[in-house]
Amino acid sequence: MTGPTLVVGEVHDGGLSDATKEAVGFAQSVSGKENVVGFLAGSSSRAPAAGFGRCGVARTFVAEDPRLDGAVGAVVAHLVASAADSLGADLVVVGGSTFGRDLVARLGVRWSAAVATGVTSLSRTGAALEVRRPVFGGRATETRQLEGAHAAVAIRPHASAAPPESPGETALTAVSVEGIPPLLWAPQRLGVKVVPRGAGPSLTDASIVVSGGRGIRAAENFRLIDELAASLDAAVGASRAVTDAGWRPENYQVGQTGKQVSPQLYVAVGISGAIQHLMGMISSRVIVAINSDPSAPIFKVADYGLVADLFQVVPALTQEIRRARGQ
Amino acid sequence: MEIVVCVKPVPDAETRLRTAPDGTTLDIEAVKFVLAGYDESAVEQALLLREANPGSKVHVVSAGPPPRTEEVLRASLALGCDLATWVETPPGVAPDPVSAARALARAVSAVPHDLVLCGKNAGDDEAGVVPGALAELLGVPDFSAVLDLRWDAGAARLRFQRNTEAGVESWEAPLPCVVALQQAWNDPRTAKLPAILKSRRLPIAKVSPEAAAPTVGTTRPTKFELPPPRTGAKLIEFKTPEEAAQKLVKVLKEEAKVFP
Amino acid sequence: MPDFSLTPEQESLRDLARKFARTEMAPHAAECDRTSRFPEEIYRKAFDLGLLNLNVPAEYGGSGLGLFDQCLIVEELAYGCGGMTTTVIANCLALEPILLDGSPEQKDRFLKPFCAEYHLAAFALTEPSGGSDPGTMRTLARREGDHYVLSGEKCFISNAPQASLLLVFANVDPSLRHKGVTAFVVARSAEGVTVGPDEEKMGHRASSTATIRFDDVRVPASDRLGAEGTGFSLAMRTLDQTRTPIGALATGIAQAALDHAASYSLKRETFGKPISEHQAIQIKLANMAQAVHAARLLTWRAAWMIDRGQKGTLESSIAKCYASDAAFDVADEAIQTFGGYGYMREYPVEKLLRDAKLTQIYEGANEIQRIVIARELLRGYG
Repeated sequence: MTGPTLVVGEVHDGGLSDATKEAVGFAQSVSGKENVVGFLAGSSSRAPAAGFGRCGVARTFVAEDPRLDGAVGAVVAHLVASAADSLGADLVVVGGSTFGRDLVARLGVRWSAAVATGVTSLSRTGAALEVRRPVFGGRATETRQLEGAHAAVAIRPHASAAPPESPGETALTAVSVEGIPPLLWAPQRLGVKVVPRGAGPSLTDASIVVSGGRGIRAAENFRLIDELAASLDAAVGASRAVTDAGWRPENYQVGQTGKQVSPQLYVAVGISGAIQHLMGMISSRVIVAINSDPSAPIFKVADYGLVADLFQVVPALTQEIRRARGQ
Repeated sequence: MEIVVCVKPVPDAETRLRTAPDGTTLDIEAVKFVLAGYDESAVEQALLLREANPGSKVHVVSAGPPPRTEEVLRASLALGCDLATWVETPPGVAPDPVSAARALARAVSAVPHDLVLCGKNAGDDEAGVVPGALAELLGVPDFSAVLDLRWDAGAARLRFQRNTEAGVESWEAPLPCVVALQQAWNDPRTAKLPAILKSRRLPIAKVSPEAAAPTVGTTRPTKFELPPPRTGAKLIEFKTPEEAAQKLVKVLKEEAKVFP
Repeated sequence: MPDFSLTPEQESLRDLARKFARTEMAPHAAECDRTSRFPEEIYRKAFDLGLLNLNVPAEYGGSGLGLFDQCLIVEELAYGCGGMTTTVIANCLALEPILLDGSPEQKDRFLKPFCAEYHLAAFALTEPSGGSDPGTMRTLARREGDHYVLSGEKCFISNAPQASLLLVFANVDPSLRHKGVTAFVVARSAEGVTVGPDEEKMGHRASSTATIRFDDVRVPASDRLGAEGTGFSLAMRTLDQTRTPIGALATGIAQAALDHAASYSLKRETFGKPISEHQAIQIKLANMAQAVHAARLLTWRAAWMIDRGQKGTLESSIAKCYASDAAFDVADEAIQTFGGYGYMREYPVEKLLRDAKLTQIYEGANEIQRIVIARELLRGYG
């Protein structure tokens, strides 16, 4: 008998974040649609909670308080643990985000839960829960058994599809923020600055990433990468060589010490494929490499390759993509 | 300021991954263990804070099996940490993250700790769970994805930024708290040869882990799988750049099914 | 030597050198080789990390390493670049006579300021008239009261253009031949010292080599090392110490050559398969591996013996001679494995052959090593 599964959501742009919707899809396929209950905390969470209804979640806990937007994760963990207890839940699922991962870490102690982050799949065999997750930068996959009465899982971004949206209501249950220790309200979030990213989605969210490496040769040539990315509505990334040379800021770096991305498609242009970079993108679903050096290590890990002069092929590719997409 | 840094030994980035004979974990025979990359940044951050706030101390702590845990503590001492404590766990596979957090909490709560610094995650299991669990055990707030960490002694507030999906958040918080740094945004120093030699003779305090391991809220590895070997890229033949572009777009559409 | 494993301390030292070699030296090796550039910024970083004054005891500000540990470091550095490593060991070579025969006061006076900041030293023994035969040296040191006046010319001196401290061997009485040779510590800045231009070399182009002329250079008697006439013995005892690290340097070059050849052979395909599957290449790689392993173990054993206070002349000569010949052969076979690409300067292997060649010549040419080996050997049968 599967107990209720609580999906903890995040608000983004006035509605549920994409990560939250993915978490709902994940929870529904693992626990059955009827067992999934939503949870949302924020300064105004009732309105965005309607998003749960459109995902087919019949009931949602909402905690509303002006202090909740800039609250520390510990506060939400308090609220989630008591909501989960009052529900009799045995599983909490959160989307693939910083918030999600931090929350399950706290629940590991607060709710005595067996926790796992970056989860790509979860299966129930009788009473036992088993998760699969990538490790070593995606170079291996581990399976872990979650032991105990409670489990809290943060899924990997894009591990599941969001459920198809349809009209539907979710019944709201208010959660009180009384009883939170004062010291947890003390830290202050002073502001949020949306980092100017140029055109395109953020590196870690994007389903397509186009990255440029040392083969680009000079800062002014990087516009070829920007144009190719724009034609695909992709995010732009760079190898460490590029950020070290100052051709692009550090937040563009994909790699072991930069961002780890797992898009559907990763296009590596003029990148040799040193392990430092590979560890940032190896778990991409499809990898395309464009490099003039046939012995570049990137060709060992790519799915498709063009041994070509990028200065000739990339503009041609951008043009062909625009034509194919009717731009 | 009493700064505690939590570090973990992880397999070197260049390690060839192999499955252990029992199929459950990485084969650690002949694996070279090093200080986790993000932990090097955390140690560097701690040392920079110590330099900016004279009178501060940096205490490095690790929970794990011999001999690799002792080695990363010595590596941290060689970088300049003042004190080291080791919670020794049984040899072999490391404890799961929440169990590691419990062990670390025993060591941390026994020493002065204003600020507890952690790396973003370890390079092996990449769970990123220890900072949150540790903070919950210590009863303090925790902050992840932190950049640009400063101590404002006048206002008695830690000032920092967090790099989250929402954007770059600016924060201030009183001590004590746990901070997990975003990534290697500082340039970790390299330990100098004399410091490496000296670190071998420095004392490492020992704290025993809990007598009975908790039976609730743990996870156990049951399978460790390497992906089927990538056979290498399918190279697309072409005579002109235009032909290359057309063929690639076709393949992405029809074969890979990733064309937007 | 029953236990061949390294202590955790030795592993840490080796890791430090390996990281420095791969992240600081190797990325600049080709450029320095191409342009014959002396990368002072890299040597300064080496100094900062304690990788420059390896043999000087810690009490004087050096790293105070035994010979075995020095060899661990030198092999790793040479893997990054043979030329840059020559700068480091030439520095250690020049300081060794002060360690062997300097008085406590001299060690204090010379070594402490030297190790406190970045400095380089140069060992000036070789002359145009004789390298392998230092007994015939023509640089003279004429006693004048409490000074000596040095005149003569030394050639092929590593670090000469950048050194602040020179270890100079001169003869106080040519009639005594090698029994007149005396060692002096001379400041580069002393009047009358002129360093010629950096020589254009076949390899080790990141290291500087030049002629030093001494025109009536006045050197205080208090800067003489040991008694007059002990210089030849000091030079020989110095080389007894520094011969083994050359074996380590050669081993590093050989290992780099083997690694390049082996990984290339797995990627390069001919006749439908990687060349690593062709017997001709497998036999080559096997021979190369044997040579590298042997070079390393001979070097290790010689260093281990000398650290235990044994003279180790036979073992260190064998190590230096074998390892340098091995480095040349392994580099040669590496080029052959790469085929046409190996002949191109764009690929890293041809530099290794040019670097390996010097190891057969300097610090005691291999012909001399063989004579020493024969002499030491036959002593045991006499």
